[in-house]
Amino acid sequence: MDLFLQYLANGLVIGAFYALSALGLTLIFGLMRVVNFAHGEFYMLGGVLGWFVTAHLGLNFFLGLALVAATMATLGWLVDRFLIERVRGQGEEPGILLTIGLSIFLVNATLLVVGPAPMKVAGAFAEGPVFIGPIIVTKLRLLAVAVGAAAILAAHLLIRRTRLGRAMRATFQDPMAASLAGIRTKHVYAATFALGCTLAALSGMLLASVYSAQASIGGLVSLKSFVVVILGGMGSFAGAVAGGLLLGIAEAMWGGYVATGMVDVIGFVLVILILLFRPQGIFSARAERA
Amino acid sequence: MHRLVLGSVLMAGVAAAAPAQAQETVRIGLIQPLTGSVAYNGQSVVEGARLAIEEVNAAGGVLGKKIELIIEDGQCKPANSVNAVEKLVQKDKVVGLVGAFCSSATAAIMPVAQKYKIPLVTGVSSKADLTEQGNPYFFRAAETDGLMAKAFAKILAKDLKLGSVAYIGVNDDWGRGGIEEFSRDLSALGVKTVLTEYFDHGTTDFFTLLTKLRAAKPDGVFVAAETQDGSILVKQIRELGITAKVFGVGSWATADFIKLAGDAAEGIHAAVPYASTYEAPRNQAFVKKYEAKYGIKPGKYGAAGYNALNIVAAAIAGAGSTDAEAIRAALQKTRYEAPNGVYQFTGKGQAYGFDAVLVRLEKGEPKVIASAPVEATD
Repeated sequence: MDLFLQYLANGLVIGAFYALSALGLTLIFGLMRVVNFAHGEFYMLGGVLGWFVTAHLGLNFFLGLALVAATMATLGWLVDRFLIERVRGQGEEPGILLTIGLSIFLVNATLLVVGPAPMKVAGAFAEGPVFIGPIIVTKLRLLAVAVGAAAILAAHLLIRRTRLGRAMRATFQDPMAASLAGIRTKHVYAATFALGCTLAALSGMLLASVYSAQASIGGLVSLKSFVVVILGGMGSFAGAVAGGLLLGIAEAMWGGYVATGMVDVIGFVLVILILLFRPQGIFSARAERA
Repeated sequence: MHRLVLGSVLMAGVAAAAPAQAQETVRIGLIQPLTGSVAYNGQSVVEGARLAIEEVNAAGGVLGKKIELIIEDGQCKPANSVNAVEKLVQKDKVVGLVGAFCSSATAAIMPVAQKYKIPLVTGVSSKADLTEQGNPYFFRAAETDGLMAKAFAKILAKDLKLGSVAYIGVNDDWGRGGIEEFSRDLSALGVKTVLTEYFDHGTTDFFTLLTKLRAAKPDGVFVAAETQDGSILVKQIRELGITAKVFGVGSWATADFIKLAGDAAEGIHAAVPYASTYEAPRNQAFVKKYEAKYGIKPGKYGAAGYNALNIVAAAIAGAGSTDAEAIRAALQKTRYEAPNGVYQFTGKGQAYGFDAVLVRLEKGEPKVIASAPVEATD
């Protein structure tokens, strides 16, 4: 029983990490209909920048996190204004090609600048185990889950409760009507992409403090994020959370009771099952465009 | 299109018959993973290789020409590595190949090297059966897991007082091979196997695996992993409060591993073919040069790249031409004085004669506690 509880705790923690890292992807897809294949690379940049600001600029973790968020928001804004904008309204394929190209560029530029060595991001406090009954977790993991939950909630509130969020939703329902109503849609698109990038980078830095940051981690992150987003339903926040937790727990149970060697298979088996029986995902965001 | 195919076939034929006659430099191709989860280790091989070539060229090169190193990213994947070899042979007209890190990738490029009759030396790939395939163009300037297990299993079982061991390895031929060899030799010494688990390259979270490990309560944990996976793994072993003694194979005796793993690295035993603290004048000189160039002490892979390129360069010089057969014959007669002993090749192309070491990581330094020569097996 203790063993089961520990597996469940491991699964929940990893699931929360999956949800957090998939959030930016689902946001950009759900609101902008851009399939962002460079998502994993924004995550990676978050980790690498996190290493830079903590190890080289000597900032403390939370200050560093804020700086990384601001930097990545700016980068996201610029990427949208200078790159994504050029292919907007031309269907999904040009956007896919563009983001794949962007991902290749970002990986190789990072390899060129910092090299392929794994980097350590100093955590918010010293690592140490925390005992909850028979279960062991670590302080940094709990912190990452807490900050992740806060980020999910904040993004949700931003989209549902603020003026900017209303403008976002209006723009993506009907760009023409939105601009007729006086919304500056260019800025709304750029803000959405910036928000998606920031979420990706935040999760990248948080998780780099638990694991490590590395230039070529992006591919794997993108892959897992796509699994999570397909499970939960493209564009749905609740879906990303449910999909992440489902994947995390499924992997932990499979690894615990069967074999850890083939644990990556689980995600794809789940995806195939979902696509067969509920192709819109567990939660689907029915935000069809007019 | 037909003409293009014909053209490349012709070019390949010409290249094989009279390789690189008109070239200003002698070209050697190096295939390593430069992206992916072992990219960092592949990069170390490249660093070592560059240092070797720099030295050879500073001493006048070979055959009166400079050596040019052409590096390709094989990503440790068989298909990409084969593509890299095709490009190196067809386009760059290399006279020798070094690569391709992962045993599976090396196994894939071996027949290609044989097809084009280009000698291939690996400084890393340790899967035992590579040298058993009767490929005359293939040479392994590295230890195999079997040779390491044979050299150190007894010392490990006695020094660490092992009664039971859990085996954890990366899920590829190297990881599986290492576990196979060590579990066989340790079992023969009466050490019980309580758990055998694998994880995929690039895994970041080992808590599930380690939960199982904690429940199995072994005396020792054998780990076959490279820098990135390994450093995260040992950190999480300590985070979960597991006190079993950790030992393993992989790039553990390196400054980077110790830096990444932090305190968790303390007390780990590693069986490695090379450690920068190995006591020999040649090694001290090598470490000094490497550190001056890269600002970091060489590890297993830096040394592997350095040795492999020196062996190939010496063979080309010894052959007196860039003719593949002559180079192959010269490789067979190799007697290369490396930082860690003298490399020679058996008839099957397996290196022997150099020292492997068992180190314990103490206060951020790999301390050599035993060394043993890798012996010829056939």
